[in-house]
Amino acid sequence: MRARSAGAPKFLNLSQIRFPIGAIASIGHRLSGVLLMVSLPLLALALDRSLRSEPEFAALRDLVSAPWRALLLVILVWAAAHHLFAGVRHLLADIGVGSRLAQARTSAWAVIVAAGIIALAAALRWLS
Amino acid sequence: MRVSIYRFNPETDTKPRMQDYDVAPEAGDKKLLDVLMRLKTMDDSLSFRRSCREGVCGSDAMNINGRNGLACLTSLQGMKEPVVLRPLPGFPVIRDLIVDMTQFFAHYHSIKPYLINNEALPERERVQSPAEREKLNGLYECILCACCSAFCPSFWWNPDKFIGPAGLLQAYRFISDSRDTATAERLAYLDDVYRLYRCRTIMNCTEVCPKGLSPSHAIERIRLALVRESS
Amino acid sequence: MRLFLGQRAWVLQRVTALVLLILLALGAATLLTGPSLSYGSWHALATSTHGAVLIVVFFAALCLHGWIGVRDIVLDYIHAPALRLPLLALVAVILFAIFIRVVLTMAAHFAGGG
Repeated sequence: MRARSAGAPKFLNLSQIRFPIGAIASIGHRLSGVLLMVSLPLLALALDRSLRSEPEFAALRDLVSAPWRALLLVILVWAAAHHLFAGVRHLLADIGVGSRLAQARTSAWAVIVAAGIIALAAALRWLS
Repeated sequence: MRVSIYRFNPETDTKPRMQDYDVAPEAGDKKLLDVLMRLKTMDDSLSFRRSCREGVCGSDAMNINGRNGLACLTSLQGMKEPVVLRPLPGFPVIRDLIVDMTQFFAHYHSIKPYLINNEALPERERVQSPAEREKLNGLYECILCACCSAFCPSFWWNPDKFIGPAGLLQAYRFISDSRDTATAERLAYLDDVYRLYRCRTIMNCTEVCPKGLSPSHAIERIRLALVRESS
Repeated sequence: MRLFLGQRAWVLQRVTALVLLILLALGAATLLTGPSLSYGSWHALATSTHGAVLIVVFFAALCLHGWIGVRDIVLDYIHAPALRLPLLALVAVILFAIFIRVVLTMAAHFAGGG
């Protein structure tokens, strides 16, 4: 017997779904995690370079002198900040701190805003 | 009032489409379901489920302006127009706003939604103290409307393997019941990367529950119970 | 499949997160309270016994934490076994290689740094 819904359409157009703030914080957590993972080889490389010699250490410090590298760094700063704050939010929720809806909404906003402010500060410092 | 509704007739349509209706609510129309009933008299091909019309049966769950809810509990007052109605996200559409709930109920049955107690039957009843009964509050009220599971991204990606917020809330309802003796088996069944641990605590479930329940809280308690169980 | 454990992966994700948090806080405190970092002071710090150990622990936690995260993303979005398993294997190999690379870096500087 053919299932009634074989070949049936599904409504799952994400642009037509109104996501709560917690979902925005959550997808940001995932996205920032991917960005950090992608940059992990560079971090390992930077560790190696920083220990090799004085000039290579200095070169790393001057990484932000090129605007496109500075921009990438700003994005990574956002990713690190958002991932860290969202992670702390989850760790606390796991043990029942702030896991009620009203508090979870507030903390989701706080995570997004705080990470944004930190990224903005990095941008002002390195890009201006 | 303008209402835009997702239409799909499996006998004639290959693809779903949106159809706009203009309807004037009358004095007695308070909830979205009242308007839907009025539309049904205008166009009897329009299909949706409804029964109790007061948030008890859980049949008229749908996606209302981008969020899941019950049409019978959604007040017309202050609704953004056009009101856009679509079937529950991620569920196979049978016709218009009617979705196939087979998989949803299969997950519900998988958590054994009944008391398990093989101890000798007491003479009268299995007594529960008021404090023990209190633990079931916020769990037993679930009407299985599927608003939560159909708003959960983890359920969208793995609807066949992740039990989903509704099933997990029900699972915790029996885990918390002092009269149930199968807690260890229930927890062992849930300790699975798909069944329980697809949950990423997005909390979309709790956001849309029309009964004000918190499946995310139940999941949090199940995970802690599993940690206690294994330590 | 042992690769797809339930609770153990969830706990490991939390434990590695805590390790990373503590080490990051330690690193931030060192940077903020000490004088501004020069090559000499950084080299001395990183090649001291506990500095080197903490850096290796940091990267171990980072790789494990990243593995669980990437694995969850693959489990969510990629369902075809022909795509999923090679992808997971590739990620595991890359993360392991990164960790080995860090260990080699630290070993080289630790031996010569003294």
